[in-house]
Amino acid sequence: MNYKGRTILASVLMATVFAGLGVRLAFLHLKPSPETLVRIESGRHLEEETRGPRGRILDRNGNILAVDIAARHLCADPKFILENGDIQQVCEAIAGVVPLSRSEIWTLLDQPERQYVRIQKYMREKTLEQLKEMKLKGVILEETSMRNYPKGALGAHVIGFSNCEGVGGAGIEQRLNSYLQGTTGRKVSLKDGRRHEIYSRRTVDIEPQSGADIYLTIDQQVQHFAEKALDALVAKYQPQGAWAIVQNVRSGEILAMASWPAYNPNRYGSAPPEWMRNRTISYGYEPGSVMKAMIIASALDGGYVTPRDVFDCENGHWMYGGRALNDSHGEGLLSVADIIKKSSNIGAAKIALQMGNEKTYQSLKSFGFGARTGIDLPGEEGGILWTVKNWSKISITRLAMGHEINVTALQMLSALSAIANDGVRMRPYLVDKVVDAAGETVFKTLPGELGRPIRPETAKTMRRLLARVTQPGGTGTKAAVRGYPVAGKTGTAQKVRPKEEGGGYYDHKYFASFAGFLPVENPAISIIVVVDDPQGAHYGGSVCGPAFRIIADQTVRYLRISPQGFPTEYVSGLGPIVPEEKKSAEAGAL
Amino acid sequence: MKKKQKRKSRKAEVRIPFPNMLAMVLVCVAASGLSYIWLCARCDTLGSEIKKLESERHNVRQRAINEQDRWSNMLAPANFERALKHHKLAMTLPSERQIVRVRRGSSERVLTLAYNQKGFMNADEL
Repeated sequence: MNYKGRTILASVLMATVFAGLGVRLAFLHLKPSPETLVRIESGRHLEEETRGPRGRILDRNGNILAVDIAARHLCADPKFILENGDIQQVCEAIAGVVPLSRSEIWTLLDQPERQYVRIQKYMREKTLEQLKEMKLKGVILEETSMRNYPKGALGAHVIGFSNCEGVGGAGIEQRLNSYLQGTTGRKVSLKDGRRHEIYSRRTVDIEPQSGADIYLTIDQQVQHFAEKALDALVAKYQPQGAWAIVQNVRSGEILAMASWPAYNPNRYGSAPPEWMRNRTISYGYEPGSVMKAMIIASALDGGYVTPRDVFDCENGHWMYGGRALNDSHGEGLLSVADIIKKSSNIGAAKIALQMGNEKTYQSLKSFGFGARTGIDLPGEEGGILWTVKNWSKISITRLAMGHEINVTALQMLSALSAIANDGVRMRPYLVDKVVDAAGETVFKTLPGELGRPIRPETAKTMRRLLARVTQPGGTGTKAAVRGYPVAGKTGTAQKVRPKEEGGGYYDHKYFASFAGFLPVENPAISIIVVVDDPQGAHYGGSVCGPAFRIIADQTVRYLRISPQGFPTEYVSGLGPIVPEEKKSAEAGAL
Repeated sequence: MKKKQKRKSRKAEVRIPFPNMLAMVLVCVAASGLSYIWLCARCDTLGSEIKKLESERHNVRQRAINEQDRWSNMLAPANFERALKHHKLAMTLPSERQIVRVRRGSSERVLTLAYNQKGFMNADEL
């Protein structure tokens, strides 16, 4: 074939090829089949949904208690690794960073038919730094996020935990889940041949929004004081449980809420359910003599007795309604003031009898017993306060000494705080404010009043009477704080024996407690410490008094509470009560 | 003879002027096409730059959160105590006896001063 012929042939061939391409192009663009369209679209279409991070949980000073952090799932492509013959190197590298043996990793990777295996979930970026540097082929580090609690077990029962799906499972995480959850972002776009997104083809771009931040009323330092005191107490008395609460008496804010046994929310899966129980709000117990404070306060308020009235305490043994009532230390004649100081059961019973069933019931109800306080935590119990028609003849005498009634520590503290707060019972709360991702405050909790069980004058008298409990001769001397007048009441109650075990009370199992507040004249904080079945000692004063003292001593110094008054800069709620004459003097000075 | 032929060929050449309008249209089309291609390329470049920045922002945010978490962990009271113990630093809050409170004017504000080794700090030293 000559030159001309070859040229024509080449031209014809090229023209045919181009014509073919042109026809295919026209066919694809002008009249593609539905299957082709779907295939093309699915190959190019990109649709991503990203979950916004959960909001943070912070203490009252902005210390982070819970936060979503970046993490990775360590995954691999076994097929690729086996084909490239790198399995040994990969196994050795991975074995150094995950809690799996080399043989376990080998078994996972020795699956030539699989292209994806997950070796370890939720690994921290820092742990993987070394692995990243090695740039191992076939090893995939999938991006994810995980909930982390940087303070570990601190405040675990208040904070709670959130599960792998980002849903709160306990505590604040559960109660405020709707605020904490972020919104899901959405991206719709097209991919190029290398499976990279073509930004200019992005048609939907909704940014995921992180959830709102929750600021608690808890102070991490006060929480630490409470937990540390409980740890020391547990080490000494090996109880079945111990719990403590610190409250701002003026506003009702909870500054610390500790419960033992505790757990680390970072490893909530390995904690027994019983450890996760927030005993301060969900564990009802018979409070014992702490209840005398409320009974006597009501009797004083109703004018049934005065602090100087004297009762015969029968030298510690009294028969009433066919049943014996005993005092741990036999006393003869005691004034109302001394009945509190010496914690006489017989004296308290006689005072309650003066009030009568109905008045006693109403007064206990007005102190909040038998009803939930409404704290912003899930799982709160309301306790048990039987109505008068369910009472026996001796019920009133048992109620006066804190039996035949079931309360939570929070209820008891709330009632005692009412005495400290001039007779005003404040709603206890844990959430100070909720701030959304844009920095706007969604809501702020304002202190709320739950009732006024006693008059301010009665509260003042009661504060002075309760202050005698920690003074020499009282049952709570071990709770006294050096430099600060402390008011409080000890409580020791035998534990109720379940019906399955025959009912009644255990002979040698007790609930020991101490609830108090300070400074006496202008109370700032109230604290309750409860211990379930302490070993070696069982009196509230000797078991819980020292723990109370440790918490109170450290808290007043940390919060800069003076022995005379309130730390003005600390109170976010009501603030200190300033007497009228001082207010006017201040106004004049300004 | 040659002159005649030249004249004939000149006569045979018919000069059809290229229409200016068409030329302008073609130039416009070409310019638009080029602009479109340039804009497309520019969009893609900007897009990939935005994507890069998006990814950087994401990484920085994650790093910031992780650092916040680490810092928060370091500030945990238990860790703080451990660090103090490790460095053999015995630090305690001052007791009530070691504090002097000074009232400023007639207001209720109080100043809290730490105890100094020589004795209680005097208000005049303020």
